[in-house]
Amino acid sequence: MSRPETDGGARRAVFSPVDTRARVDAVVRRIGDAIELGLLADGEQLPGESELAGQLGVSTVTLREALMALRQRGLVTTRRGRGGGSFVALPDVPADDRLKDRLHDWSTEELRDLGDHWAALSGAAARLAAERTGPADLEPLRRTARELARATDAAARGRLYGRFHVELAAAAQSARLTREQVALQSEVGALPCLVLAEDAYREEVADRHRRVVAAVQDGADETAGALAERCVRESAARLVAVRLTL
Amino acid sequence: MGVRSGLAAVATEPERRVAAQVGGALGAVFETVAATRAETTALLRRVAAEGRRPVSRDLAALRPGLHARLARDAIVSGAGFVATPGLLADAPAWLEWWQSGADGVVRPLLLDLDPGRSAYSDYTHWDWFALPRDTGRRAVAGPYVDYLCSAEYSLTVSEPVGVQGRFAGVAAADVYLRHFEAAVLPLLRGLPRPAHLVNAHGRVAASADAAHLAGSLTRGPDFGELLDTARPGTHDGLRLIPCRGVPLVLVVA
Repeated sequence: MSRPETDGGARRAVFSPVDTRARVDAVVRRIGDAIELGLLADGEQLPGESELAGQLGVSTVTLREALMALRQRGLVTTRRGRGGGSFVALPDVPADDRLKDRLHDWSTEELRDLGDHWAALSGAAARLAAERTGPADLEPLRRTARELARATDAAARGRLYGRFHVELAAAAQSARLTREQVALQSEVGALPCLVLAEDAYREEVADRHRRVVAAVQDGADETAGALAERCVRESAARLVAVRLTL
Repeated sequence: MGVRSGLAAVATEPERRVAAQVGGALGAVFETVAATRAETTALLRRVAAEGRRPVSRDLAALRPGLHARLARDAIVSGAGFVATPGLLADAPAWLEWWQSGADGVVRPLLLDLDPGRSAYSDYTHWDWFALPRDTGRRAVAGPYVDYLCSAEYSLTVSEPVGVQGRFAGVAAADVYLRHFEAAVLPLLRGLPRPAHLVNAHGRVAASADAAHLAGSLTRGPDFGELLDTARPGTHDGLRLIPCRGVPLVLVVA
């Protein structure tokens, strides 16, 4: 990474609005997640800078900063000249280590706040679902809880964990809560895999999910809400614990 | 369960009229689904006559019809054909699905259907897919939060598509609940008593009764049984009138 290539962008960034930092982080996370989840393939060329910035709704200055951070992390390489551009480069290190790199981008304060937001969404969703759910509506949640109890690899566990909470929001019959939950899941990305790789904790989560479903089915809204919140808080607390070891 | 029927439960003339008209609000949706089913069936027959299995590219032939219907019918927000897994030779699963945005532009729905990456790759358990597959008949699914396609609170109308006696998938169309409500609210408000519409599970689909809002459950009566018998009934002071041609019950306080 040569200085002249980024110097201008970095200097301009100094004098851009402070909010830019959050936008850079958001772009880094988004693209980093997409690479981590395999949505962008190794060696794939990213769109041109102005096009990509337009698609993401950020300035080219913000995008360049984000690309610089992704290059430092080895997730993107840039080739100059004809046929040049930015390319996805999956580093040759275990997925777990890459996820820890991603976790390192979060401060413990941000993780705590993420846990609060998630608990608020899932707790509210569980309470409403308990009021509004008939037996037939619970089948997706039961299926997800069953699949989570069987899933062997950490990536699948992470996806099922997220799906459970999206389905819980849908069971609340709230499009807004569901959209918020989907947005939160895309921000969290694969991070929950870090704590779900451990079988004992996976069992605990699957059990909590089953108890949430049972409380929703019984129409016990306060119990369902408290259980859903505790489930999310516990995961966030474990992520914080992992973050503190980095 | 607890529903009385018979002479004592005879609905009033205005109630019967409203129950007969509610289905009309979905008329354009039923037409869209029927036309999509007819075009898909014809397409799959043509491909079968060529002695080959269909591929995803074949389904592009459905696009002009889908685009025209989405542009014409404001109440239809999404429409298409959803293949049963294994139908296509080149893709394990496929949605040929188009949506009209708030800006009126029609766009394709592009889902990640790779089970190795997406937790939402299996769509075969959704009511809009499973009901027509299992019953062989048109179904109205919802109201439900459609987090797969639109992230909207929706009703989905779907019909099975079959080729050579085998289930090939469903032709379907989405109606956002707010658009359905706009279409039926004038009917409900025309009744002298507070009224709302529920599906077979008692889920409120539209309401002119502040005590029973869309998405909540009206508990007690077995609405599924009432829809099967297609006769009005009463329950605990509520008058229950099955709607004509659509699996909804008019509930009048």
